[in-house]
Amino acid sequence: MNIGLDHYIFLSALLFALGFFGVLLRKNTLVIYMCLELMLTAATLALVAFSRYNGTLDGNVFVFFILTVAAAEVAVGLAIIVALFRQRQTVQVDELNALKH
Amino acid sequence: MTPELLQAAAASNQWSAILPELGLGCLALLLLVLEIVLPKSAHDRIPTVAIVGQLAILVALLVNLTPAGLERDTFNGLLHHSRDGQFLRAFFLVTSIVVCLLGRVALAKQLLPKIEFYHLVLVVTAAMMLLAQSNHFVMLFVALETVTVGFYILVSYVRTSPLSLEAGLKYLIMGALSSALLLFGIVLLYGVAGTPTLPAHTGQAMNFDALSAFLAANPGNFVAQCGIALVLSGVAFKIGAFPFQIWIPDVYQGAPTPVTAFLAVASKAAGFAVLLVLTLKAFAPYAGLTVPLLGVLAAATILFGNIAALTQSNVKRLIGLSGVSHAGFLLLGVVAAVSTPLALGAVYFYLAAYLIATLAVFGVMTHVAGPNDADQELDHYAGLARDNPFLATVLAVGLGSLAGIPPLAGFMGKLFVFIAAFKAGLYPLLAVAIVGVVISIYYYFGWIKAAFFETWRAPQPEGTPDSRPARTPVAWPAGVTLGLLALASVVLGFYQGCFGEWLLNR
Repeated sequence: MNIGLDHYIFLSALLFALGFFGVLLRKNTLVIYMCLELMLTAATLALVAFSRYNGTLDGNVFVFFILTVAAAEVAVGLAIIVALFRQRQTVQVDELNALKH
Repeated sequence: MTPELLQAAAASNQWSAILPELGLGCLALLLLVLEIVLPKSAHDRIPTVAIVGQLAILVALLVNLTPAGLERDTFNGLLHHSRDGQFLRAFFLVTSIVVCLLGRVALAKQLLPKIEFYHLVLVVTAAMMLLAQSNHFVMLFVALETVTVGFYILVSYVRTSPLSLEAGLKYLIMGALSSALLLFGIVLLYGVAGTPTLPAHTGQAMNFDALSAFLAANPGNFVAQCGIALVLSGVAFKIGAFPFQIWIPDVYQGAPTPVTAFLAVASKAAGFAVLLVLTLKAFAPYAGLTVPLLGVLAAATILFGNIAALTQSNVKRLIGLSGVSHAGFLLLGVVAAVSTPLALGAVYFYLAAYLIATLAVFGVMTHVAGPNDADQELDHYAGLARDNPFLATVLAVGLGSLAGIPPLAGFMGKLFVFIAAFKAGLYPLLAVAIVGVVISIYYYFGWIKAAFFETWRAPQPEGTPDSRPARTPVAWPAGVTLGLLALASVVLGFYQGCFGEWLLNR
């Protein structure tokens, strides 16, 4: 089988959808966070595939920026999750509902 | 790539064009250095350095408001400098100065490291200034993420408070989700605009001008439409438009009050700056898709924001939801701006009036709040007019301006937006907006009533401690700022002068 651009885009759309519904449906903050990273990875995969098949380098360069941004986001995000766990002893979304009117 | 191309690219890196941003970045680093160098007893003066430094940058910016090289691209098309960009630069600077002032008042009630707060505010402000002038998706994404990651830290800044951390976590998940949607939209647009088989395909697909040219040559492309819808929904998260507003009440309530002010004003304005650039420039050929999409968003946002705000008793949730409705009015202006150039100026004037009024209200909230920032009920405002007439007056002017009461600036902002919408022929949306204004008067006046008129309270047994937090006395820098903000709301309502002319004449 010859793997073409369509296959890459299909795989990336699939990963993106998995991540998106994971964020909406999962209850554990760490799993939600993994799903968010999955969405970024899906975008990166599509970017590299487009860059290869369109013959422009912008996409490859953009991937470096996305990786850097994702690393910064993970660093801050995990710090917040750890700090919250120390205060509340839970990372389940349904138990984190102190902010209510 | 030939040496000549590299030379041309290097020549377009005009660092002098981004001096305000560079100045803010250097100032932010200077604060951290000062924290290490100065003895502990002198740390109180570091916020003053931050505020005075920003004032100096603001003055330099205002003196040089229309430099010779305006309306040009720099950094190889990454940035586009325009008059609107200059306005937004000044807008973000004013916001961050007031936020730093409020931060001083609010952080004094907490036992926390303080200098990093000012550092982050400065970095986020510089990133927002770049975001408002971006002309390229890489620039836009990196600047937007700098703003968002900075806000994650700021929202969860009170790390001893579970509420602040919970707000930070909610903002983190929602912010990262919206960034991912935006990113996937960018990727789709980049992919389709570079496809070699399509007419007018481009090697610079991330550049707004090149993308616009491609979209004009390919009307009705399905992948491009998906990309545009994803990018717009990512931006809608940032401005808090319906159905992407779910994070707003919780995050606004849990965040420290100055950060809530920063989110409500600067973050929202940055979202609108991006939205205006995208709809009017990059996606202009697809107005047939963007106008109905944003129109429906505007109507739903106005109605949802106003109706949800009716039942709130926590003032931070109240102002968050009222901010949602303001995002709806601004969206109305954005929709009108596609066909009527006047609307662009109206949106900017509305933003300016919103900035002045909202910061005045947040200034009062910072002084009324106790050490627990999330607990700010309408009841806490009882007797404010008797105990502190100055704060009560500022609050009344700010809320009146937000509600759009005639002689105040907020009224003029709404009027300009509505006139623009009328000229653009958006009659159904206009009707929804007017209903929204009427509803909003109810909850704004409920708040004013809480501050000005005594309500009967059940008699407390002797010796019961008052559940309301003690109010902070107003120090002179905050007092002068709040007075100026209230005065500006009144003056801008009566007389728009050269400021209004500069914004609206185009």
